[in-house]
Amino acid sequence: MAKTAAQWEAKPKFPETHYVDSRVYTDAAIFEEEKEKLFRPSWIIACHESEMAAPYDYRLFNHPSGVPLIVIRGDDGKVRSFYNICPHRGNTILYDPAGNAKRLTCIFHQWSFDSRGNCVDISRAEQGYQERFCKEDAAMREVRCEVGYGGFVWVNLADDAPGLREFIGGAMDILEPYMQQPMEVFHYHKARVRTNFKLWHDTNSEFYHDFLHYFNRITGMMQPGYFDRKYTGFPNGHATVGSMQIQYDKYDGSKERAVGWPGLARGGWYMVDVFPGMTYNLRTSVLRIDTAIPLGPNEVIIEFRGLGLKADTEEERRQRVFDHNMIWGPFGRNLHEDLLGVHGQGRAMRAGTDSRWVLQGREENSTIHDEIGMRHYYAEWSKRMGRPAHHPA
Amino acid sequence: MIKSEQRQAIEELVYRSCLALDARDYKAFLALCDEEFRYTIATYSPEIRREMVWLDHDRKGMETLFTNLPRHNSDHSPITRHATVYTVDEKGGSAEVVSALQVFRTQLDGGATELFAVGRFHDTVKLDGASARLKKRLVRLETRLLGYGYHIPF
Repeated sequence: MAKTAAQWEAKPKFPETHYVDSRVYTDAAIFEEEKEKLFRPSWIIACHESEMAAPYDYRLFNHPSGVPLIVIRGDDGKVRSFYNICPHRGNTILYDPAGNAKRLTCIFHQWSFDSRGNCVDISRAEQGYQERFCKEDAAMREVRCEVGYGGFVWVNLADDAPGLREFIGGAMDILEPYMQQPMEVFHYHKARVRTNFKLWHDTNSEFYHDFLHYFNRITGMMQPGYFDRKYTGFPNGHATVGSMQIQYDKYDGSKERAVGWPGLARGGWYMVDVFPGMTYNLRTSVLRIDTAIPLGPNEVIIEFRGLGLKADTEEERRQRVFDHNMIWGPFGRNLHEDLLGVHGQGRAMRAGTDSRWVLQGREENSTIHDEIGMRHYYAEWSKRMGRPAHHPA
Repeated sequence: MIKSEQRQAIEELVYRSCLALDARDYKAFLALCDEEFRYTIATYSPEIRREMVWLDHDRKGMETLFTNLPRHNSDHSPITRHATVYTVDEKGGSAEVVSALQVFRTQLDGGATELFAVGRFHDTVKLDGASARLKKRLVRLETRLLGYGYHIPF
């Protein structure tokens, strides 16, 4: 029987850890707090080292907290990150999303910086500042930056946060054996969707939406062992999913898979969800990385990267690109379905729609249709936000 | 030198290919394509400073794609391809054709239309007298931000 208003409002018949109040996805004040408490002190993937292979190569990155960053390989080969904000009058220093720049020069008044963040020139400095202000006073703001876990460039805005290794803990142990060879980004695109960033991470944290991908996944779901893969939670809100071998040859159009991944069983599949909004997804021949960059409580940009091996032959790369595009490309089968899924959630949860509870109540011994991946995430969310996700106001 | 009737046949081929895909009439689209047909969507990423291929199929691959599309969950909003043939250059028994492409998406609820993507068709057209068939289509997209995406190729 359909529910009355009171029944709709009533708390779900689950433990409070097994549902969240939908305001965590819609409330502007909560979102502002998330930027401070979740994103600023977390390690976030800014780019991959292959995107900045040579000295002075740089990438721009809009940090989820809102801060515009430059990531640049220095003259010494070291990767560093700085605010993309001129310390003079707050202008943008670099505009192109990637490039090579020996000097980082603000077009506004020609203040210039080197690849280590030092100010190397202030135009007409002596005339204007005399002895009161000099280049040493005008350095860029450096942001903590480490390269790791497959050659990704991670940044952290909090000077006092624990290091990257401590942040990740054991969550990458499952993937590290497969990330020993140098990798290279061959695919990058963004999707801008009117939905909350956590809803995308939620989708990456549960496999119950196999049914969204019914045509793709039915062959997998019929294989013995498909439902036995387990979620494992790690400190700081990260979670992993173990592998199985997907029989892709059962999916029409996916029969010719000539290339695999070093050490990975053919058709293997591992996932690592990194708090608060990144996912490693290694599947058969491609590593996909999602990075969620929220723009507001109901708007997110998701960066998608596809990676192969630097050592790929032309034919191997072609095959990886084909495999990637078939499932995860902008016209691929799965990606559009997943994006439609969270777009629909964004529609249904907008302010005024009277959405109320989001259930995470499935328990199946921590296997992939168990919703423990999301519960694990919201336990960390609640800890950092100082209140439970089922009662966030 | 392309004869005027050949140019007309080529332009009609490009426009019919748009109409067929707009109507999701995949059979009609494939009827315009040669047995050696190859379809590719490519674009350049200034972020990673690389050429990218986003879709690449031979004729059989396109047939499979079109067969599978209705089995997936997809956005049902219609899209409208607007092409303008810019240049036609004869090369042996075929022609290299460059067309401007704009793709519009119309919301089912309310019918608002928005520009979805811009790019160009780079077609290789096989000529046989006055008839013309698509041998190769490279869709070079300028637009890379496609929101929640779309399953049907442009």
